Formats: sequence, C-alpha cells, structure tokens
Amino acid sequence: MNNILLLEDLPEIRAWMKALVLQVFPKSHIHEAARIHDALELTTAIKFDLALVDLGLPDGSGVTVVAELRENQPEAQSVVVTIHDDDDHLFPALQAGAFGYLLKEQSRELIAEQLKRMSGGEPPLSPSIARRVISHFAAQSRSKPPQQAHAMPHVSLTDRENEVLLRVAKGYTLPEIGVQLSLSRHTIADYVKQIYRKLNVSSRAEAALEAQRLGLFRS
Amino acid sequence: MPTRALFLILALWAWLVTGAAHAEALTIHSALSINSNEAHFPTQGTPAPVRLPDDWAASRPDHDGSVWYRASFVRPAGLAPDDLLALYIERACSNLEVHLNGRRIFSGGRMAEPTARNCHRPQLVNLPAVLLDQPLNVLDIQVHGSALRHVSARARAGGLSVLRIGPASEMKALYEQREFWSIRTVQIIGITLIALGGFLLILSWINRSEIFLMYFGWLLIGWTVLSLRVWWPQWPWETHTFEIVVCSAFPPVVAMAVQFLLSYAGVRSRPVAIALLLQCMLVPISLAAVGADHLFTSASAWFMLMAAELIAAIAVYLWLAWKNHRDDFWPMGITLGCMGLLVMNEIAMQYGWLPRLAVQPLNFAFPLLLLGIGSRLLQVFGRALQAAEVNRTLLEKRVQEATAEIERNFAQLSALRVEQVTEKERKRIAADLHDDLGAKLLTIVHTSESERISTLAREALEEMRLSVRGLTGKPVRLADALADWRAETVSRLGQANIEADWRNPVDELEQQLTARVFVQTTRILREAVSNIIKHSGASHCKVRTSVDAQHFGLLVQDNGKGIAMELDGKLDRGHGMSSMKHRAKQLLGQCLIESGPGYGTVIRLTIPL
Repeated sequence: MNNILLLEDLPEIRAWMKALVLQVFPKSHIHEAARIHDALELTTAIKFDLALVDLGLPDGSGVTVVAELRENQPEAQSVVVTIHDDDDHLFPALQAGAFGYLLKEQSRELIAEQLKRMSGGEPPLSPSIARRVISHFAAQSRSKPPQQAHAMPHVSLTDRENEVLLRVAKGYTLPEIGVQLSLSRHTIADYVKQIYRKLNVSSRAEAALEAQRLGLFRS
Repeated sequence: MPTRALFLILALWAWLVTGAAHAEALTIHSALSINSNEAHFPTQGTPAPVRLPDDWAASRPDHDGSVWYRASFVRPAGLAPDDLLALYIERACSNLEVHLNGRRIFSGGRMAEPTARNCHRPQLVNLPAVLLDQPLNVLDIQVHGSALRHVSARARAGGLSVLRIGPASEMKALYEQREFWSIRTVQIIGITLIALGGFLLILSWINRSEIFLMYFGWLLIGWTVLSLRVWWPQWPWETHTFEIVVCSAFPPVVAMAVQFLLSYAGVRSRPVAIALLLQCMLVPISLAAVGADHLFTSASAWFMLMAAELIAAIAVYLWLAWKNHRDDFWPMGITLGCMGLLVMNEIAMQYGWLPRLAVQPLNFAFPLLLLGIGSRLLQVFGRALQAAEVNRTLLEKRVQEATAEIERNFAQLSALRVEQVTEKERKRIAADLHDDLGAKLLTIVHTSESERISTLAREALEEMRLSVRGLTGKPVRLADALADWRAETVSRLGQANIEADWRNPVDELEQQLTARVFVQTTRILREAVSNIIKHSGASHCKVRTSVDAQHFGLLVQDNGKGIAMELDGKLDRGHGMSSMKHRAKQLLGQCLIESGPGYGTVIRLTIPL
C-alpha cells in the first residue's frame, strides 16, 4: 500500500484514522482531504491503492469520489468509512464501486482487523446488503425489456455466486459458507468480489440506460 | 305492424266490395238521356236511350255542362204501403238535381259554374211518399259535369252511375257505408294526419338534425290538403281553374315524399331538390299553357312522371336500407311496396287500363300507410329518446364513478404525499443527528483517553443510531432479523475465538417485527453476546431460535463460568442483566437468566410477535 486517500471532514477523526491506517500500513503515504473537491483534485494527480471515503461531507456525498475512482483508477480499492450503518447509505456506495465499508464507531482493533482483511482481498458482506444485491439483480432481470437487452451488458450472477449470496442473506458468515460449500476462504472471497464487480457494472449500465431514457424524454 | 295494417285494409276492402246485395232494392240500369241545360227535362229534342252507368267519356266525350236523364219505375212489390222509399246514387259527377214526377226533390248544390263538386260523394235522395202516387213514377235527373279532357283525373269526369231505389233505411245504410269510406274516412284520417304531421314538425324543429321528420310532417299535411278535393264540394273556381289548382297541389306533396325517402335513407341531393322545386313550378305553368282541351293528357303525363319519381325514391330507399342492413327494411319495405302498388293502380285507373272503382283505394289506403310510417317514425324517435335516456343514466353513473375514483386517488395521493414529506423530514432529522450529535460522539469515542468514556460514547452513538432507525424504520421480516442477528453474533464470537453454534428455524418465516421490537431485541442480544465475550470465558456458545404463532424465542447458552446469582441484581458488574430484563418487559416479553458458577449461563428471551 503506497498511496492512500483519506477523505474525512472531521479533523479529530481524520487524525485518528490516519494514525490507525499508519499502524496497519506503516509504509504508506496518506493523502488527506476534507472535501470532495479536494479529493477529486488529488485523484487527478496521484494513483491510489486505497481510498477511505466518508459519505456525509460538506460539499456532497463521498459516493462521487468512489465512482470517480472506479472510473479512472480501477485498481484503487475504495472503502467507505461512515457513521451510517443503514442500507440506504451503504448500498449506493457499493453500487458505485466501493469494495467494502467500515463503521466509524467500531473499535480501533476491529477496524484494523477489517482493513487488513480487505487489503488481503476479503470484502465484507452483511446479510442485509446481500438481500439488497439479490433484489437488485432480480429486479433487473424482470424489468429488462427485450429490445434493450442487447443495449445493456449482460450482467447476471452465476449459480455459485447466487448460492453464496443466498447463504449470506440467511446470516451465514463467509468462513461458514466456505465450509458448507467445501470451498476455500479465498474462493469465497473471490465470489464476493465478483458479486461487487457485477453489482457495479450492472448499476452503471442501469444508470446509463436511465440517463438515456431521460435524455430521450427531454428531446 | 304494417303487415297487420295491410290485412286490416284488405279485410275492409273485401267487406266493402261484397256488402252490396239487397233483395228488395230496385236497380235501374237504363234511362233516356239528352244533353240540355234547361231547368226541366226538355220537351224538345229526342232523348236517346243510354245504359247506366253512363260514362260521359264513352257516351258523349266532348260534352260539358248538363245532361238530363229520365227513368221510370214502379214501386217495388213486396214493400209495405207505408214504407219510405229512397234513391241511392253511387256516383253523379260533378253534381246533380233530382225531379220526381215533375217535382224537384233534391239538389246536390250549385248546378252552374263554379259547380258543386260531388264526384267522390254518393248521393241519397228520399222519395217523398206523397209524390209516389203514380203507377209508373218518372225520375228526372239532371247531371252537371265536365268532359274527360277538361279534367285532370278520370274520377272527376262527368257521368252517372246506376240508380237504386229501395226502402229508405236500406238505402241509407248503403249510402252511409259508401259515404263512410269515400268521405268520412278521408276526413278522419286527414285530421289524424294533420295532428301527426304537426307533431312531427315540432319534433323536427326541436331536433334539427333529423330533417326527414320535417319532410314527413309536411308530407302528411300536404296529403291532407290534397284530400280536400275529395270531400269539400264548394270551390270558388270554375272547373278549369279548379283542376289546375288540384294538379298543382300534387308536386309539392310528391317532393316532400321523395325528399323524405331520400333523407331517411341518408341521401342528400341538391339536383334532386332543385328538380323537385322546378317541377312544382312547371306543373301549373304547363297545364295553363296547354289549354283546356289537353288538360287530361298533360295532367296524366305529369301524374305518370310523379308516380315514377315516387317509385324510384322508394326503390332507392329500399336498396340503401337493404345494403345497410337496416332492421326496418321489411316493415318499411312492405309499407312502401303497398304504396307503390296503390300509386300504380291509380295511374292505371287514370289511363283507363283498370276499371274505375267507386271508392278509390288511394284516398283511404294511402293515408293509412302514411299513418303507419308516421307511427313507425315516432316509435323510432321514442326508442332513440329512451336509448339516449339510458345512455345519459349510464354516463352519469360513469361520471360519478370517475369522480369517486378521482377523489379516492386524490385522498391516496395526499396521504402518500404526507407520508413522503414525513419520511423526508424523518430522514433529515436522522441525517442531522448523525452529522451533529454523531460526529461529536464519534470524536469522543476515538479521542477520549479513558476507555470507560470511550465505551460510553460508543454505546451512546449506537443508542442514537438505533433510536433514529426506530423512528425511520420500517417493519422487518423476522427471517431477515434472524439472519442479521446471526451474522453479527457469529462474527463477533468468531473474532473473540468463541465457537458459535446458531441455528435458525428452516421454515420460511413470514412474520414481521416492528422496528421497535427489532431495535430492542438487537440491543438485548448484543448485550448478551458482549457479556459472553467479556465475562464468561466461554469457548462455546449455542443459540437457538423458535417461532410459534404468538411469540418468538431466543435461547443463548454458553459454557463459561457463569454468573454468581447473588451478584445479579445487586451489583450487576456491568453485565447489563437488569437492562436486558427491563427491555424485554418493555416489549411485553420476558428474559429469564439461569446461571450458576461452573454451569455456564442460559438466557431465555421470549418476545410476543
């Protein structure tokens, strides 16, 4: 981990986060930003490996930065760090391409542990997020009109990915699912990463279609 | 209905034709006749014998004016001496006077021009008993009439029918029967037609789009005016003028009939209208121009033309009705067919191809058919009115339904809007709380030197978030809640290296938890898991969930060192046992804790659904 973006508007929390990140990744360069504007400026100049992004910022939502990084720096891992633990805040961030999320009030140890896991390629996935992902893909396959099918990249989950999602939605942890499906931790983690990737791709396609539709309506 | 009317007409006609045989009556078939304008049977000149009925067109084609007839009769035998006698004359055209044994006993009206016009009217002459004193009674009859070529219709050419002498009552019955059909019927139907025609005119005036009603109304009225020629005897014109006036009255009526048929069939033709109008003007002009001697020929030609127009219009109407599958094709077809036949019959009589009937069917059958069509039009109009009423009622109902629907939608929309605004406001408050209070608490969590304060702040933050979610939260499916709890608990225990064994019911659970129940139960469970991690020293934790119709239950069991019961409730040592119980009680459930040193701890939570 070389370049890490830290987007957080509260100075105390930012300092605390910076200390924590340095503890996990001692050799990294941490670039701090307090506003979206600053963060976007940084992304044009620096190639990041990891971005810790707060959602509620004075000049908008951190989702903008997540989407920007996903678009221009696909290698950068975006992790949302937020005080909001509800799906209404988390899911849009995941759709925009966030790789995971951390809740700010968690203990230093827990956050450090999760950061390590995420940087090791194990994204977190809660049952409620899994349910949202399932209903997202279900709604998409239902609502897709035939004439638009070709216009939209074909994004659907494989049976295995579905299986993993369903089990997460029922409250099983990723290691438990690995045991149940006789798969390694890494394989399960890869499935989850793949699910996030597909969520992002299909969400972007959906957004593009929606924009096109609105454009058509306007003209 | 027209079929029935047709049968009725035929039956009446049959009765009319057959009801004329009278045993005691004396029928005089021959007479002496002489052309003379004198006031009495002329003494000069030689009367010629003539057979009755005497049709002037055959016997004296060029004669205009007066003809004297003389017939002798003996009082019929078999009659009582005091029986009154009467003379019945079926037709004396245009007018007559009767002398019995040299005494004038009857006059039908003016004998000089303008003469009384009684061509269509039968005559009944009572023979005064005092004058019947001779063994052979002499009957002198003066008939005033016109040559066929000076009139426009064969029915108004001069002539005298057979003479019948018989008992007064019998002759009167005969007279009344014939008079009824020739005159009275025409009058009665005329009145009816006028009423119906006026009614239709009013309808057409109210309802401008149905112009055929107007044509038909004028047709009825026009026909009635025309029928005046049949029964009104006193016209102030001499024969030539009278005939031209009568002829000139036909074209407007024909025009109305043709226009009615065309417009009823949905055809509007300007050339036809113009032609009909021209015809109305041409008929009197041409008849006046050709002169008196060619009146009959020209009028007959015009009648033929007008009959052809009428029949053509009937054909056009019927063809269109057939093509458009109009449901009144058959009734109208039969009625109009009868009309066509009547008109052709009339034309045939006019040209002398058929014998002239004493009662012209055109005069009473044609208006009857008109009456039939008029009733039909009224029926159609009435039905349309009824249909319109039904439609109006339906429409009103639909409008009411639509209004109700709109009101309902509006109410729903308003409710939805209130809900949306409320939800938005809730979210705003929640966001404010997070941004403001949340940020401050978070700062305390991560900057406080004291672990205790940091923990308190974290818990306060959690409280705040749960409270906010309690405000904004929607009901949670029990299955989802169990999955969330399981994931969190297993993950936390796993991080603490405690083996977790949590099994949820395999059934599909459709029950819902209110946001409040979900939040509180989450707190209770967190507290229990925190206790296990912090204080129990357990290596294994078993969780079982159960659901029945009214409750769901959580059983959390660890194999730790347990809690000394005497401590519970007094010191609690941060175990939060009392707060767990308190929260369960708030949810109207219960939280039972069984524990003893070395036995581990069992927590049984039961919450009503």
